[in-house]
Amino acid sequence: MFQARPSRRRALAAGASTAALLLAGPPALAGCTAWAPAPDTPDPLEPPAHRAEVDAALAAAVAGAHPTLATAANALAADRAAHARTLRAELHRVRPDPAPPTAAQPVVPPPVSPEPAAAKAALTQAMRAAQDEAAALVLTLPGYRAALLASVAACCATHTAVLT
Amino acid sequence: MTPHFPAGHPHPDMETYRGGEAGGVQLPVGALQAALATEHAAVWVYGVAGAFVSSTLTRRLDEAATAHQARRDATQRLLLDAGVTPVPPEPGYVSPEPVTDAASALRLVITAETDTAGAWRSVVERSPADPDLRGTALEALTAAAIRATRWRATAGATPLTVPFPGAP
Repeated sequence: MFQARPSRRRALAAGASTAALLLAGPPALAGCTAWAPAPDTPDPLEPPAHRAEVDAALAAAVAGAHPTLATAANALAADRAAHARTLRAELHRVRPDPAPPTAAQPVVPPPVSPEPAAAKAALTQAMRAAQDEAAALVLTLPGYRAALLASVAACCATHTAVLT
Repeated sequence: MTPHFPAGHPHPDMETYRGGEAGGVQLPVGALQAALATEHAAVWVYGVAGAFVSSTLTRRLDEAATAHQARRDATQRLLLDAGVTPVPPEPGYVSPEPVTDAASALRLVITAETDTAGAWRSVVERSPADPDLRGTALEALTAAAIRATRWRATAGATPLTVPFPGAP
């Protein structure tokens, strides 16, 4: 966004960093994209993917039950559905054909409270739990997945901010 | 929106790393310098925006500016400790549109938060799996995303959220 005014210093800085690159060489971080969980162990993205599906279903149910919460809940449902799609795509990329075949966990959201305040609190609690889960995974997973979950965690935090 | 980082945004394959000799963490220098550059820009943006928005928003603007200054200072220290010269602020910035009123000032701060979010997400992506550095970068990304959402609410912009804050 902010186009810095062109300056000679920038050109010099660019040259300097190229020289550093040639001297330093690539680090041992290449190959992140080739990472895959060990066979026969659950993919660590499975829990956040399932949670995103449950949250999307919960938020859609809240939006249907409570018109005053519909705007926030529908936005939350849309974002969590986007998380679920992207996480599922990454799961599928790594294991196009999961073996052994796992029984898909059913997406069963908790019942929606008839009280708007309680329904709103349930959404807030869900967003905090999702943020915590994703944030913990950010610290340990390879770069691409860590960045993906960092965005998921940050998004859940923005929904908490909208709800509270 | 495509961020244009003042110091140039390094391609992931061109990242250089520093540190790690004494058991410390390997720092992704290019990503951190890009994040620092967006923090410099954000500090500048909040200075500009203050002149155009209602005084009722002054406290929130000040808090955001203070947060970016703290992030800037911490990032500078991190780079200096690794023997890297931190990028300085640019002598001048060109905002995407002229700032003439409260609405354009709010769009500018939202853009600044979007840019910092993107830069810190890149730090997450290019960091080794280190709790300290990734945790710091995640915190910066999350804080920027929350501020962007709150400013969108202030500006009456919709949607208030994006599914993947910081994603390109």
